[in-house]
Amino acid sequence: MPMHTKERPVPNGVILEMTGDLTYANREQFKTAVETIRQKGCRHLILNMADVRFVDSSGLGMLALVSQNFKLSQGKVSMLRPQSYVREIMSLANIQKLIPVYDNEQDALAEQQRAA
Amino acid sequence: MPTPAAVTTSCNAAEDGVPTILVVDDEPTARLALAARLKRLGYRVIQAGDGKAGLEALRRERPNLTILDWMMPELDGPSFCEQVRHDPELQTSQILMMTSHDQPEQIAEGLARGADDFLSKAASKYEISARVQAGMRAATLVRRLKDASEEIRQKQEALERELQSAARYVETLLPASGPVVPGVQMVRTYRPSLALGGDLFNIVPWSDDFLGLYLLDASGHGVSAALRSSSFATFLRRDSLLRHVGSNDPGAILTEANKQFPLTENGHYFTIVFASLDLRCHTLSYATAGHSGALLHRRSGAVCWMAQPNLPLGFDSFTTYVTVELPITPGDRLYLFSDGLYEVPDPTGELWGQARLDETIRRFGERPLTEVVAGTVAEAIRWQGHEQFPDDVAVMGLEIAV
Repeated sequence: MPMHTKERPVPNGVILEMTGDLTYANREQFKTAVETIRQKGCRHLILNMADVRFVDSSGLGMLALVSQNFKLSQGKVSMLRPQSYVREIMSLANIQKLIPVYDNEQDALAEQQRAA
Repeated sequence: MPTPAAVTTSCNAAEDGVPTILVVDDEPTARLALAARLKRLGYRVIQAGDGKAGLEALRRERPNLTILDWMMPELDGPSFCEQVRHDPELQTSQILMMTSHDQPEQIAEGLARGADDFLSKAASKYEISARVQAGMRAATLVRRLKDASEEIRQKQEALERELQSAARYVETLLPASGPVVPGVQMVRTYRPSLALGGDLFNIVPWSDDFLGLYLLDASGHGVSAALRSSSFATFLRRDSLLRHVGSNDPGAILTEANKQFPLTENGHYFTIVFASLDLRCHTLSYATAGHSGALLHRRSGAVCWMAQPNLPLGFDSFTTYVTVELPITPGDRLYLFSDGLYEVPDPTGELWGQARLDETIRRFGERPLTEVVAGTVAEAIRWQGHEQFPDDVAVMGLEIAV
């Protein structure tokens, strides 16, 4: 299934609304969308995963890469509402250690302010 | 009367570079007149007096263009075209069909049976020249296309030979099924999804009663995954581990590997299970990095999954991987898998999953190890409904009898 992304600015960050699968086939598209946001100077990227059905091993690697790249530019990445299957895959690979997971936007933004 | 099979060539065939036209017509006068006209336009001309001789000339001379009379005894123009279009060697030939009456139905029939264009017998020399030029343009394009396809095919073949040779090399890195040391039997299977796989595993006796073993999975497939895996396998050699890590401890080995193999710029990484088996102390020590496919099937029947939820290698350079120890009793079996074995979807998209793999291993019970490994792969194939796995599949089973 192809992936669609849409940016939505929020105070001190950008929410990337994602729809579809985060997989090998869609990796370039995801990487480009995220790099565009990072190069605009965004310090907090929030990935809204509510409409992502599947993440494969390549997708996990992309998430780790995005998190590392944001860290290099003094930014951070958070994740919103992953579906249960995706949440399970992430927890097997302990991704929440790199990318904190939140159930709503307010919590993700509040966490960011505390950190700032 | 036409002279059967008579073919005359107007110029020396050595005149390369001059476009050649084959004229097939059973009426000598018309044929000679057209041939003369074409020669005056600067073409090399071959003539054939009937359809059969025309086909032979086409096969032998491969002219750029064929001008063909419709009405001929035995093999007429449309039948000639049909034979050409059914012949893989000739089918791209450009054919201009001549008729004395250009009725739309006739033209439609001729095109349908394989002609590329029409030329009226009453055509002016300007029209002949223009139609021939148009045919030549098409012939040139077709030829370029054929040359390009042929070049691609040859390159593809060379590439596939390279891949197969690399795949044979990767196979040589894998251990053979059989006894590893007295009392330890190993059975393995390996099915890369493409010619080249990114999964690798090995088992090496470090001494008579101490074994090191691992199964690693490079994310992605194909050449880059195989190259990264084989470089990792080199790092995991005993001499390299002693130099870089200075310890047999699986956790220490993965902690160091995590620093040596960061994420690639495309987000590629490894998952791995690394274990050491101390037969004297009956202890299995292991560490995993984002790798779930490892279990101990105890002689008692209990199944113990060895996975720890932790990061794959390269995700965070500060991660410390921890060694876990398990006691071993004779008769226990250790299985290492790549996730390609159990993350296979059935036609509705439902994955086979670890629970069904667990159930399959239990069901096989104490059947010979070879049967368990083959049977487990067969179950996964049955689930997905076809032989070809979407991801690399590697399984290494170990029976510890001492």
